[in-house]
Amino acid sequence: MLEYIGPALQQLFTIENFLWMNVGVFIGSIFAAIPGLSVILCIILFLPFTYKMTAIPGMMFLLGIYCAGGYGGSVSAILINTPGTPHAATTMLDGHPLSQKGRTKTALRAALYASTFGGIFSALALLFLAPQVAKIAAQLGTAEYFLVCLFGLTIIAGISGKSLIKGIISAALGLLISCVGADPLTGYDRFTFGNVRLYMGLDLAICLIGLFALVEILGKAEGKVGPLKLDTSKIKTEDKITKEEGKRMILPAIVSSIIGVIIGIIPGTGASMASWFSYDRAKAMSKHKEEFGHGSIEGIAAAESANNAVTGATLIPLLTLGIPGDGCVAIMLSALMINGLNPGLSLFTTQGDIMYAIMIGLIFVNLFMFLQGRYLTDLFAKIVSVPQEILTPIIVMFCFAGAFSVNKSYFDVVVILVFAAIAWIMKKLDMPTVPILLGLVLGNMTETNFRRALLLTDGSFSIFVSSWYCIAFLVLIIGAVSMIVINKMKEGKKGEAN
Amino acid sequence: MKKIVSLVLSVLMVATLLVGCGNKTETWTVTCPWAPSGVAAMVSQKAASLSTEYSKDIILVADAIKGDAATVNTWVASTKASDPELVFAGEGLFSITSILDPAKLQFTYDDFTYVENLYSSIFVMSADTKLGIDSIDSLKAYLEAGNEVSIATNGATGSEAFLAASLIGAMGYGDQLKLVAYSSAAEAAQAVSRGETNLAVSHQSQILETYQQGGVTMVCAFDAEDIADGPFAGVEGVGKHGYPFFRNRCFIMARSGADANKVAALKALYGEILADAEVADWLSNTMLLEVDTMTEEQVLEHIENVKNIVNEYYDLVAN
Amino acid sequence: MKDFIKNMEEKLDSMGAKLAKKEIKIPTDLAAAIVFFILGIVLMLLVPSQVTVGKDEVVSGAAFPTYLCYIMIGGSVLVAAQNILKMVRKEPVETKTINALVEIKALIIFGILVVFWLICNLTELFVLGALWCAVAFLLFFRCKKKSYYIITVAFAVGIWAAFRFILNVNF
Repeated sequence: MLEYIGPALQQLFTIENFLWMNVGVFIGSIFAAIPGLSVILCIILFLPFTYKMTAIPGMMFLLGIYCAGGYGGSVSAILINTPGTPHAATTMLDGHPLSQKGRTKTALRAALYASTFGGIFSALALLFLAPQVAKIAAQLGTAEYFLVCLFGLTIIAGISGKSLIKGIISAALGLLISCVGADPLTGYDRFTFGNVRLYMGLDLAICLIGLFALVEILGKAEGKVGPLKLDTSKIKTEDKITKEEGKRMILPAIVSSIIGVIIGIIPGTGASMASWFSYDRAKAMSKHKEEFGHGSIEGIAAAESANNAVTGATLIPLLTLGIPGDGCVAIMLSALMINGLNPGLSLFTTQGDIMYAIMIGLIFVNLFMFLQGRYLTDLFAKIVSVPQEILTPIIVMFCFAGAFSVNKSYFDVVVILVFAAIAWIMKKLDMPTVPILLGLVLGNMTETNFRRALLLTDGSFSIFVSSWYCIAFLVLIIGAVSMIVINKMKEGKKGEAN
Repeated sequence: MKKIVSLVLSVLMVATLLVGCGNKTETWTVTCPWAPSGVAAMVSQKAASLSTEYSKDIILVADAIKGDAATVNTWVASTKASDPELVFAGEGLFSITSILDPAKLQFTYDDFTYVENLYSSIFVMSADTKLGIDSIDSLKAYLEAGNEVSIATNGATGSEAFLAASLIGAMGYGDQLKLVAYSSAAEAAQAVSRGETNLAVSHQSQILETYQQGGVTMVCAFDAEDIADGPFAGVEGVGKHGYPFFRNRCFIMARSGADANKVAALKALYGEILADAEVADWLSNTMLLEVDTMTEEQVLEHIENVKNIVNEYYDLVAN
Repeated sequence: MKDFIKNMEEKLDSMGAKLAKKEIKIPTDLAAAIVFFILGIVLMLLVPSQVTVGKDEVVSGAAFPTYLCYIMIGGSVLVAAQNILKMVRKEPVETKTINALVEIKALIIFGILVVFWLICNLTELFVLGALWCAVAFLLFFRCKKKSYYIITVAFAVGIWAAFRFILNVNF
């Protein structure tokens, strides 16, 4: 590890990297603060920009967006009782009541300090844990990788919404879409309908622009547009976090950061789960339980440190195994691979300097998030008020320009339109679209490793129990599936009781 | 507000006009249809970074759009002879895809004007250390004993797969061959070092780390003679034993009908860049490649040689 | 001109009001099950013609897509069965109201996007399409503020310029 730190710092400390970190943090904060715009949308829109960059500035930019998204969502949650991101809903429980008590600045500062603490904690966890996990990953073969993918697919349970079966159907559709193009093991074409443009398959970023960004534009048909009325004068109050409050924030921030890291490492769980779980823990541990829900500083600290502690941890399975921890980092996979950084295997040895630069960079991203949050929050709040009439066409232009620039082809713009239509129909049918993303990300890897494993053993399934790693992953899969079944049964019983 | 908007628009317009104004320097975009991390893209990037040092008239800009035949199809369809555009194309497109899947190619060699070939790369075969295969003879003995061999290659129908098939096929053991495709050369190298496959075919640079760590033994090089120097010096060439081989080459092409003077200027520029001591050192020591400028006749000969190999061992690769 | 716009808006409002009243309630789970059942069958029927299979493949390239079609079909049957059972038991099922006005508006937005693509594709000038997009969306939102038009048009040119001259995307 130490041998990479020197070269990594050399690669990291450039004006370009620090500039992109700050641009990412700034844009991410704004997107997360505006209800209706999401961090995932932001990453999708700006992903094509990174195709022109090298790995480190590209990842710094995306990580800036991703981390700032963890904090930015709390701005509107505190100010207007509308969470900018789903995980900020937990922050809203205490943030807005505290703001209503005339302590807006305290609420925002508490959210910022906790977010920064969680983020740095998570970045350090990434720095020290990822190389160890990578060492194990290097010993995994084709059969083990297939089982890792299978374990990754159990994420569907967490992202399916109300119906697990509907989630599985959506994931199957995503996996089928990943089959388009040349068969990775034989080179024969599949589902190309003779179209030359489809020989290389569908680009992940292109599909995502249609599925998640353009469908939001179609969604403008449903709602009324109007600027958000934010009273930015609220931020200019003179209130401060007291010493006593500061002390009370420490324990929930530490515990929640640990919870956030653990949950972040498990693919498919995400920041929302970490926030709610940590909030619940903080409440159970607090001496001031009665304050929770009425402006508790501990509640804000728990929720915000947990959701930011997820950010670095989700990168651990991504960088070491190629399994994205959540939807946002799934997209970052594209940015890594376009630069030839294939997760897992030799990433930590052959590209060790780049990897360590990215991981150390994450600490600085959190520091810049703190500085921007400290001095630019009122600016973010003003930008949140940008009228939707202006924002909508701008997002469309970014979508089209981004889609075109991936392969420099207007065919890809047609693809995003088709995916937007699919997503719209799925929305009408209450079908979750996030499992499609999972299918797209894991499809090729799952199929290739499954078929290659059977090719190596001439069709014998014994290869899937041929090592201790295989057995360990099988146990994990069985455990995860059992948990899902038990939870669903509990939910069913609860439903019946209600 | 109005003032700000007017100012922004004026600045944008002036900037647009300034960029639009012509100057004497011509910027040539060099499109590489493979991954930006690949050997060709890296060499192209290196050459582009030095173009301004060697020419006042030409700036080379390297671009990598992973898409293989699809990227070149798009390039051919959208590029006119007068456009300052160059593209990479290799034996994979002209000799392999043209035979395996001609429908994928919406171009022929005649759609291009040859500019230069920058490098050539000698593929090597490595083996799982446990098998004790470290020469062509020991490989032959292993096969003679009736053992089946699985060979890891980057891609299902690439140059590596055909070289593996041609060697085992020419030895007469084609029916004992099992080609296992991986999605990257790094994965293929890991597979053989873990013992998942018996052998692997890859570029030298892609197996170097595993070899230096003792993860694999070297079997042979796909060239006429033994490798002369570098970390793989002494690895025997299959050509010596009469087995088929070819080197990996990537030609830089302009659109057919491109101005002959400009093509000559580009060729000269590439020549100067390749003669740069730093470039030569980087190519041979870091990338383990050889500078290999070629005439068009040599290029056509290379394409024909690979075509013959593909035709002969087609059945072993594409079952 | 102002009268013309006013007349147009009044007409659109009255049309909108009529459309807004046209609603149908669909059982979403059942509808989703039917749609994905049909999709699964269609894709499965397409596999033989769209996937080439080699002679000696241990697991062919057709196997994985076929399994996925089975999952899609099986899942759809399960969802449909659950829903029908609920209906028979007269338990509440998941429903969604489809409003004609919302769907027409969505179609108009989709139309704006298609025209954006057409302009870019035919003229090979992204900036023209972007200008169309800016104006079309503001008209769609019935925006009357001139400053909004100026800002959005400036952004259209700015985005094109950023991609064209900074990122070197030639469009």
